[in-house]
Amino acid sequence: MTKEQIFELVKNSIREMVPEINTDNVRIEQSLRDLGVNSIDRMDIVIKCMEDLNLKIPLVEFGKVKNIAGIVELLYEKSTQ
Amino acid sequence: MEIGIEAINIFAGRAFMDVRDIFKNRDLELERFQNLMMEKKSVGLPCEDPVTNAVNAAKPIIDNMTEADKKSIDLLITCSESGVDFGKSLSTYVHDYLGLSRNCRVFEVKQACYAGTAALHMACAYVRANAFNSRALVIATDIARAAAKHTYAEPSQGVGAVAMLISRNPEVMELDYGANGYYSYEVMDTCRPLPEIETGDPDLSLLSYLDCLENSFKAYCDRVDGVDFRESFDYLTFHTPFAGMVKGAHRKLIRSLMKVSADEIETDFQKRVGPSLKYCVQVGNVYSATLYLALASMIDNAQIDNAKRIGLFSYGSGCCSEFYSGIVTPASKAKTAKMDMARHLSDRHALSIEEYDRLLDLNMEWTFGVRDKEMNFNAFSKIYERYMEGRKLLALKRIGKDWHREYIWT
Repeated sequence: MTKEQIFELVKNSIREMVPEINTDNVRIEQSLRDLGVNSIDRMDIVIKCMEDLNLKIPLVEFGKVKNIAGIVELLYEKSTQ
Repeated sequence: MEIGIEAINIFAGRAFMDVRDIFKNRDLELERFQNLMMEKKSVGLPCEDPVTNAVNAAKPIIDNMTEADKKSIDLLITCSESGVDFGKSLSTYVHDYLGLSRNCRVFEVKQACYAGTAALHMACAYVRANAFNSRALVIATDIARAAAKHTYAEPSQGVGAVAMLISRNPEVMELDYGANGYYSYEVMDTCRPLPEIETGDPDLSLLSYLDCLENSFKAYCDRVDGVDFRESFDYLTFHTPFAGMVKGAHRKLIRSLMKVSADEIETDFQKRVGPSLKYCVQVGNVYSATLYLALASMIDNAQIDNAKRIGLFSYGSGCCSEFYSGIVTPASKAKTAKMDMARHLSDRHALSIEEYDRLLDLNMEWTFGVRDKEMNFNAFSKIYERYMEGRKLLALKRIGKDWHREYIWT
């Protein structure tokens, strides 16, 4: 999967977990926190993405990422390993 | 051989602050208040410290014992991340004021919020191996640092202690022998790098907690045959920094194990986890003592009409975690009812924000390392007179020039 496709997948997860967010306006450099997503929902979004990609990444690795681009990067890196 | 908790009691201070009021007065985002799922948090008075809380939690247990049974306690472990000295452990004071036998080991363990679990299992192993039918007393006692003012840590962090008597007569909870799963690794999530500073990355801590829950449960399943998360445990009790976190963790674990609808998850959460949260939402995070506050809440509030298995998850930042299980019975409920813990929680002073701020300022005068200082009970006389005086509770009176702490019975 390309990074663009993974970004789309992250946006799908955001839509599913926090339906009130209009993901059309979401930019990759934004953080989930900027979008007003609370920590529990952020966790759910990340888990949903991992499920979709059939990946098992320790959640603490997502603790280091700063924004959606970071999430996409980590998912991309692990999915291509 | 049956080993486990013979008696349990909590002490959650004499005053509380409404968590919603903290959010309002500190201009914190109210949306975050809903995620916390917290109602009140216990607030300490200047004359309350980890020693007084520990003693005040354990005293009713000790008072209910015969002299001979009391003498059988030859191990006292305090568990804390809120020590008052780098060398001398809280247990030395606690041992003295509880009037325990001098033929007793006293020491302290530390591993953030996991410390209570560490001590519980060490004490159980000790009682199992001991030739003399000894008992052990484990007391988890912690306080939030007053310096947390104006942060998102402020609304959730409380003060309190839980005392547990460990013996071969586990009337409160018998541990399932050998049914433990551990998961630990180094991570810098939350910490107390200076005596008055609590800091860290709460997001990282949440993620680490979730990784640990999944992996310690997996390690538990590796050791115990035929475990089914939905069927094997009648109730679940998790370390509860705030109830919202437990809700997220329960959902995450279930979803990682099976396909279940959101409604089913919610019903399961209310039924199997809900009873453990009732006391926690009224006290706040009491660190090493939190899981056992949740356990006390579970036993007092769950329907226990026959033997029930409880799954327990302990997490301490840094980090160490454990999933284990135990058995409770209607006798457990009868035993904990004698301590009247719900009444203890309802019998606390409701602080106004002004009183709360004033208490935080007063508490800042009693930080780590203070010496040659006398307690001015007049500064908080209204709460002291109504909620402490004449109740035979332990209170800090003075810290000497040599840093020695002196306490009085109120």
